[in-house]
Amino acid sequence: MKPASFDYHAPPTLAEAVELMARLHEEGVDAKILAGGQSLMPMLAMRVARPEVLVDLGKIKSLDYIREESGAIAIGAMTSKRAAEASALIERQQPLFHAATKLVGHRQIRNRGSVGGSFAHADPASEYPAVALVLDIVFKAVGPEGERTIPAGDFFVTYMTTSLESTEVLTEVRLPVLPAGTGWAIQEFARRNGDLALAGVATTLKLAAGVCADVRLAAFGVNATAVRLTGAEEFLRGKRPDRAVLAQAAAMAANDLDEPMSCVHASADYRRHLIRVLAERCLLEAAARAI
Amino acid sequence: MTTKQRICITVNGVRHEREVEPRLTLVDFLRHELYLGGTHVGCEHGICGVCTVLIDGRSARSCLALAVQADGCDVTTVEGLRDGATAQLHPIQQAFVEAHGLQCGFCTPGFMMTTLELLTENADPSDDEIKEALGGNLCRCTGYESIIASVRLAARRLREQQGA
Amino acid sequence: MAIKIPTLPEQLPTTQPRFVGKEIKRVEDPGLVAGTAAFIDNLSLPGMLHCAILRSPHPHARVVKVDVRAAEALPGVFAVLTGEDVRRWANPAYTAPEGWGGYCIAVDKVRFVGEPVAAVAAVSRYVAEDALELIEVEYDVLKPVPTPAVAMAADAPILFEERGGNVIQSRVYNWGDVDRVFAEADHVVGNTFRWNRVGANPTETFGCICQWDTVDNALTCYGSYGTPRFWAMGRAMALNLPTNKVKVIPQPQGGAFGGKGGPRGTDIAALLSRKAGGRPVKYIEDRMEYLLAGFGQSWDRHYDAALAVKADGTVTGFRVRLIDDQGAGAEGWGTISVAKPLAAFTGSYRIEAARYDTVLVATNRAPTGPYRGYGPPPHFLVLESLMDMAARKLDMDPAELRRRNYIRPDQFPYTIPSGNEYDSGNYEAVLDKVLAMSDYRGLRESQARGRADGRLIGIGVVSTVEPGVFDWNAYATVGVQGIGVPEGAKVAFDMLGNLTVVVGFNLQGQGQFTVAAQVAADYWGLDVCAVKVASASTDIAPPSFGQGGSRLGVAITGAVLGACEKLKAVFCQVVAHLMQTTPEQVELMDGRLRLKANPQVGMSVAEVAGTMLGRSDLLPPGMEPSPEATFVWTAEGRTMPDDQGRCRSYLTGANATHVVMVEIDRDTGRTDILKYFIVDDCGTRLNLANVEGQLQGALAQGVGAALYEEYVYNDEGQPLVTTFVDYLIPTIHEVPMATKDFIITPSPVAPLGAKGCGEGAIHTTPAAVLCAINDALAPLGVEITETPASPHRLWKVLRQVAER
Ligand SMILES: Cc1cc2nc3c(=O)[nH]c(=O)nc-3n(C[C@H](O)[C@H](O)[C@H](O)COP(=O)(O)OP(=O)(O)OC[C@H]3O[C@@H](n4cnc5c(N)ncnc54)[C@H](O)[C@@H]3O)c2cc1C
Ligand code: FES
Ligand code: FES
Repeated sequence: MKPASFDYHAPPTLAEAVELMARLHEEGVDAKILAGGQSLMPMLAMRVARPEVLVDLGKIKSLDYIREESGAIAIGAMTSKRAAEASALIERQQPLFHAATKLVGHRQIRNRGSVGGSFAHADPASEYPAVALVLDIVFKAVGPEGERTIPAGDFFVTYMTTSLESTEVLTEVRLPVLPAGTGWAIQEFARRNGDLALAGVATTLKLAAGVCADVRLAAFGVNATAVRLTGAEEFLRGKRPDRAVLAQAAAMAANDLDEPMSCVHASADYRRHLIRVLAERCLLEAAARAI
Repeated sequence: MTTKQRICITVNGVRHEREVEPRLTLVDFLRHELYLGGTHVGCEHGICGVCTVLIDGRSARSCLALAVQADGCDVTTVEGLRDGATAQLHPIQQAFVEAHGLQCGFCTPGFMMTTLELLTENADPSDDEIKEALGGNLCRCTGYESIIASVRLAARRLREQQGA
Repeated sequence: MAIKIPTLPEQLPTTQPRFVGKEIKRVEDPGLVAGTAAFIDNLSLPGMLHCAILRSPHPHARVVKVDVRAAEALPGVFAVLTGEDVRRWANPAYTAPEGWGGYCIAVDKVRFVGEPVAAVAAVSRYVAEDALELIEVEYDVLKPVPTPAVAMAADAPILFEERGGNVIQSRVYNWGDVDRVFAEADHVVGNTFRWNRVGANPTETFGCICQWDTVDNALTCYGSYGTPRFWAMGRAMALNLPTNKVKVIPQPQGGAFGGKGGPRGTDIAALLSRKAGGRPVKYIEDRMEYLLAGFGQSWDRHYDAALAVKADGTVTGFRVRLIDDQGAGAEGWGTISVAKPLAAFTGSYRIEAARYDTVLVATNRAPTGPYRGYGPPPHFLVLESLMDMAARKLDMDPAELRRRNYIRPDQFPYTIPSGNEYDSGNYEAVLDKVLAMSDYRGLRESQARGRADGRLIGIGVVSTVEPGVFDWNAYATVGVQGIGVPEGAKVAFDMLGNLTVVVGFNLQGQGQFTVAAQVAADYWGLDVCAVKVASASTDIAPPSFGQGGSRLGVAITGAVLGACEKLKAVFCQVVAHLMQTTPEQVELMDGRLRLKANPQVGMSVAEVAGTMLGRSDLLPPGMEPSPEATFVWTAEGRTMPDDQGRCRSYLTGANATHVVMVEIDRDTGRTDILKYFIVDDCGTRLNLANVEGQLQGALAQGVGAALYEEYVYNDEGQPLVTTFVDYLIPTIHEVPMATKDFIITPSPVAPLGAKGCGEGAIHTTPAAVLCAINDALAPLGVEITETPASPHRLWKVLRQVAER
């Protein structure tokens, strides 16, 4: 299990990285960005990924930051998940993202794995894309044409595919601060602690005068990308979040799913069922948190 | 053919300069270029944790890093645990021996390196915190009970040492 | 001269054992925690090449053409090995029964995904893997045989054409009047069970360095070999070498849990070395290779079984039909796992009559190999599940049903219907202790309260017997020859009185070096750290088997003690000569050879050894100046099997009862283990920490088998579990920390009274967990009889209730 040959560059600045990616692209060289390597390295070792060139972002110090900016939290793409986990700012202002981070793998994975890498990798079983859909995270990317922002809704295309161009570098992830009083929850089902989820649900729930004003619900681990469960969201609008209503919404969410994936650990039916269970639990938890 | 790269990595306090192929993994570099065989290999795809080392003080799977990525980094391996002058075992190593935290010993360097990071951050971890920290390291021999006891013992020893 | 081996620690020549039976630090640990232990991949030899193996993507295909020209032309490649070379130089694997093995590289057809079709030796593993990509193989794909049902169908494709069919062996054993006891039973409880493939998965895979001596036509293999002589003999047969021209050097191993060794990998590396002009070739199996085709898959079973039970709960009969999917032939020695249950067929119980109807079938799955327990763990899952079903039928507490049927202490030695003799035990005392420790009644009460709240809580109480100290005759029924498993040790003092114990195996994790050192230390009054335990290669080691069959701890104790006894007799002669008395007047105590009549007068062991090596003038005339002795131990009294396979095989029978409480999440089907208790009796505990560690480790593997681990194949025979992402070894979060205690009933027949205990809890845990799960499900009227009881499977079972 050894990677095939490739060339390697570790540009010290973003500008150089972008320029390099553009040049390689023009030359028809198959180049890939390397961040923390926690997903890419196993693929290289199994030779299912075999780029000709790796462009390592690891030396670009300017992509490693967590800061508050006009009501949002800006996280540099190369910030490690452990840094996000250790950030009091994130824990306080965006507890859903914080909780999701703690669910990612193990400490060794979070030490090396970047925040940006998980979004760019777009593993359907990853927690982050679902959280992005729920929170309306905004992504910043820089390419040969300059910088652009991409809303979460436009970011995830399909299985391990995003709308980033192959020459674009994801540079920043912007999380809105969670408005005070908003309930939130994330729950997942994995065979072992730390494994990628077979199914998971993330949610936020805002109340106004005791009824649901705005509910966001997304599932992961079931379809080719994380998916918003809009039917259930709409259904809940204006309803009092009691157990029966939430259960009904959860059932609806599960029913509305496109045919889920199936693997040795869980069939499509079982995944659909798990989404119902997890959605109900998540909604209950979020409702209990909401004020 | 790809171009080799010149890298400089400090391992257990010693600087090493080498020319390596970019595809060489950090664990292969440590084991086969530097002959530091204490860091083992169990899966090469990031699941078992047997290859755990510290990169700039942070626990990491050395099978999921390239040697070139660690250029300029400070790496600590199990060989760096013992006292350089006296060759005495580190309190963590001593605790694993005394509390029988190993059987075949193949996973042990990985567990001890993760433990080193944990105890640096948290001098008195609860059992749950120990489990949380070690959840990414597989052991097929011990059933983990004695490993938890070893970490507890190591924490106590280190606290006593600090207090003294 | 017959050597008498002490059967109790008190018989050792020491006032008070300092090490035997104590919790001591292991002698092997400092090197292991320092990271200096010489695991095989830490070794390299001058000029060494690295091997990578090209493996079949098809479960069943004819190999039409293998073109290796491009690979050979790649810079850095030194040799490429194909079926052509192998056909010329090697033989198919020897198997039991004979004739079910393949060549190390497929010569005509491949029979499982992962079977080697070519191999490369190159300057590095990286380059060797590059070269594999340049090899072109043309396959003629054949219809696969994915399951025993397909294999046994009339028009099935045949794996080994020369065998004429896919059934390796079909045999029915009858012990006692089975038909009568079933006819006379008040109840017959029966069920089918499916145990899916699991396996050893040590954290270190197999690895070796092989060097072909082209002058002497001899082979040297360094590697992670658990049973070096066994592998050496196999290599000699496979590679057409005299057995004394194959030298195996066992390195310390990162766990084993069953056949640690890679016959195909070794043969391939050896032949690559031969082809590369004698340069050493290293082969390190990677994890995906291990999962695909290593010796890591075991027990793929379909059971149909029943118990005959009287109204009062007396179990009178047990019948089992087993269809065992061996995979692609018998090269992995998986056949033995069908034979081994004979050694403890009826578990802890007095059951009058039994029948074992076995069919061993070849399919296009990977060949099965040994795994900790080697067969009985699934067998006990069946027996114990049926015991619980009987208890439910009779409305009896499962613990009480077991108590009623236990073999009683006064019945030992006890011969079970399948022929083996259990040495000793007190099963009821073990049960009582674990029931008290777990507050069994309290557990039942809290279960009742939980049930009232709608929770699915279950309790398992399961007793098993672990056959310990194997003998080959236990496997005679599948064609293994021989009686006796010689294990030798040399005990040698040097001129300055320092002691070395030489053994024929190396470290694997169970702590046998420590056991050898403790026994020798207590025998000679030395500190345990002062004893050097050395592992010898097969060409110079005493006869040895090594690890396997819950045997080595006991066997090495016997060997070391035997050698010590022999040497003591010589030392007594020397001292008697010097003191002008007779050897009978001299005794060894606390490290001194002294006069029985006047214990103040004597010599230290070091003085005697020094005298022997440095002052031949002081020795009795004609005495050999050799302060060393070798003893080769094997269990006595083992017998030839009769026509129903009955014989005295395994020497000891350790016994354990587990109590486990689980809760099933109704919504997701996930099982959580809430509480776990173990009481066991493996006779004298030579080393407390060792035994405890073995128990907890085996418990973890048992939990894996019960709830997580499984090698899945699809309908086409393609393996779907090929990485550690999908083969789910339990982590620190999934393994319960068991409360443990023990009783000691020393074995009257084993050295120091110790019973084999290395395989331990894996005999009991899968059964205990499954029984607990079914206890939880019982009020719903559903059950699960397939392992692992994964959330998905349990959810399907629970859905039956919802749909009713
Ligand atoms: C044992 C284990 C358990 C894990 N468990 C989980 C889990 O529970 N949940 C989970 O979500 N993940 C899990 N992961 C994956 C882990 O979180 C990865 O870190 C993450 O998916 C990728 O981040 P990375 O920085 O390592 O990216 P890399 O592996 O370096 O890259 C991944 C992909 O993203 C691309 N990429 C990375 N950064 C950028 C960028 N800035 N711009 C453009 N493209 C980029 C790369 O080209 C590559 O294709 C696990 C991994 C392991 C080994
Ligand atoms: S070898 Fe690195 S995680 Fe297994
Ligand atoms: S001690 Fe053997 S794997 Fe942990």
